[in-house]
Amino acid sequence: MRLLMGLVFVVMAAAALRALLPRRPGLTAFAAAVAAIVLVGFYPGDLATFDFWAGAVGFVSILSALLIVMHPNPMVSVLFLILNLFCMALFFLMLQAQTLAALQVIVYAGAIMVLFVFVIMLLNLKAEEGMRVGMGPQRWAAIGFGAAFAALMFWALRHRHGSAFVEPKAFVEGFGTARDLGTLLFSDYLFATEAASVLLLAAMVGAVLLAKRRLE
Amino acid sequence: MDPQDLQVVIEATVKVAIVLGVIMTVVAYMEWVERRVSAWIQDRRGPNRVGPFGLLQPLADGIKFLFKEDILPPHVHRTLYLLAPAIIFTTSLTTFAVIPFGPPIEILGRLVKLQVADVDSGILIILAIASLGVYGIALAGWSSNNKYSLLGGLRSSAQLISYELAMGFAVVGILMSAGSLRLSEVVEYQVRHGWNIFWQLPGFIVFMTAAFAETNRLPFDLPEAETELVAGYHTEYSGFRFLLFLMAEYANMITASGLAVTLFLGGYHVPGLHLLDLPPLAFALVQVGAFCFKVALFLFLYVWVRWTIPRFRYDQLMNLGWKVLLPIALANILWVAFFVLQGWA
Repeated sequence: MRLLMGLVFVVMAAAALRALLPRRPGLTAFAAAVAAIVLVGFYPGDLATFDFWAGAVGFVSILSALLIVMHPNPMVSVLFLILNLFCMALFFLMLQAQTLAALQVIVYAGAIMVLFVFVIMLLNLKAEEGMRVGMGPQRWAAIGFGAAFAALMFWALRHRHGSAFVEPKAFVEGFGTARDLGTLLFSDYLFATEAASVLLLAAMVGAVLLAKRRLE
Repeated sequence: MDPQDLQVVIEATVKVAIVLGVIMTVVAYMEWVERRVSAWIQDRRGPNRVGPFGLLQPLADGIKFLFKEDILPPHVHRTLYLLAPAIIFTTSLTTFAVIPFGPPIEILGRLVKLQVADVDSGILIILAIASLGVYGIALAGWSSNNKYSLLGGLRSSAQLISYELAMGFAVVGILMSAGSLRLSEVVEYQVRHGWNIFWQLPGFIVFMTAAFAETNRLPFDLPEAETELVAGYHTEYSGFRFLLFLMAEYANMITASGLAVTLFLGGYHVPGLHLLDLPPLAFALVQVGAFCFKVALFLFLYVWVRWTIPRFRYDQLMNLGWKVLLPIALANILWVAFFVLQGWA
């Protein structure tokens, strides 16, 4: 956990640096990478532990999440979003929820994000050039609130009780398999599952109706 | 590391090396097979100069691709342009890992599964990784900054989304009857109950059609459509990067064939082989051979269909995917569900 907190700190620092030096994204990325490598390289514990991998994947996911917002090119932003969703799948995998991990990749990375890419290609969006908004007070306010949020998170992590992660060995045999997930969905969570499916159906019919009305 | 772990690592490494080596060799020779069979279908001779029957042609082509200039056009988005072939090639090679190509055998007192990774949600993992392959094509098309490439990339993302759905639904029937997402259990089910193709023929047809579309092969090669789009998404590529696209296409064909064999044709199962009373190792090897033979049949089918059915128009492609294949796949699910409910499966 200490590693994750260290890495989060590196990313926060990098984000602040990036906000202060908007014209030098390469420098920021380089500094963050060096800091991360130093942190991982001098990691005192065993590399094959759950904590280490949770920290490493968490680092990548936070870094990619920041780059989604910060990268000037929309196509590259979408790619970082895919990377971020991939990290979520890895988290599911580390928590033994392998079916959910595969579904996460299929549904988000494999289907929804393809549509994002499709739309960006259709609109042929170019990288935003020099149209950076909120140069003055807004930026300082953002940095202030960001620092406050970082402090809050740091405080929350320091004062938590026990480990933030459950060791995967604590799970019962067969946990996270498709069978287990299916049984849960159609017994304990039957109402939520059915409600969600009706909601999706309504959304689908609505979308078809809206698209059709424009044709006629 | 304790010896138990070491054994696992060695076993995994050997399996990965063998599977990767075989796939790469088959990929190289598929190029030769494709050209020879095409020539045979069109009453030509095909490549027959390099080595006996032209068998060294893939080697010569590979060397030529390596020595060609690797052009980086000035107008491309550099990072994504370089990343795209890597994405498509990696995803195409990864998917074969969960396909069982033989029964479990005992080597040096250790039960070895002839499959790189026997994971619980095997089919889902194949679908997940295969669905990432589209980014290779879409990014290649977009980053090339060329209108033909862009059109190719656009077409491929729309096509893959449409046919992935039909493919997924065609697989659902298999999962319902076998009661598992694990591919080795799907094969075991077929060993006990007979091959799935006999009673899930509509599912098989939908699956194969979708597999042709997912691998961008004729009649679904709209992303490259050389008569309209020059070469589609890989117009700007040259040298070895271009070769990576070709190799990824063949690797995808091999995986799709392997998956079709595993899901519908009983995988490595040979009917009646257990009656022969072969020694265990020979029994396993014959079954591995049977798997390879079935995959080879499908690869031949790919080339055969290429010269039989002309390319679909874009609206025909969409109509086929959404209005024909999807309803058939849904009907197949109902049919299988009825069987499973009656306890006949």
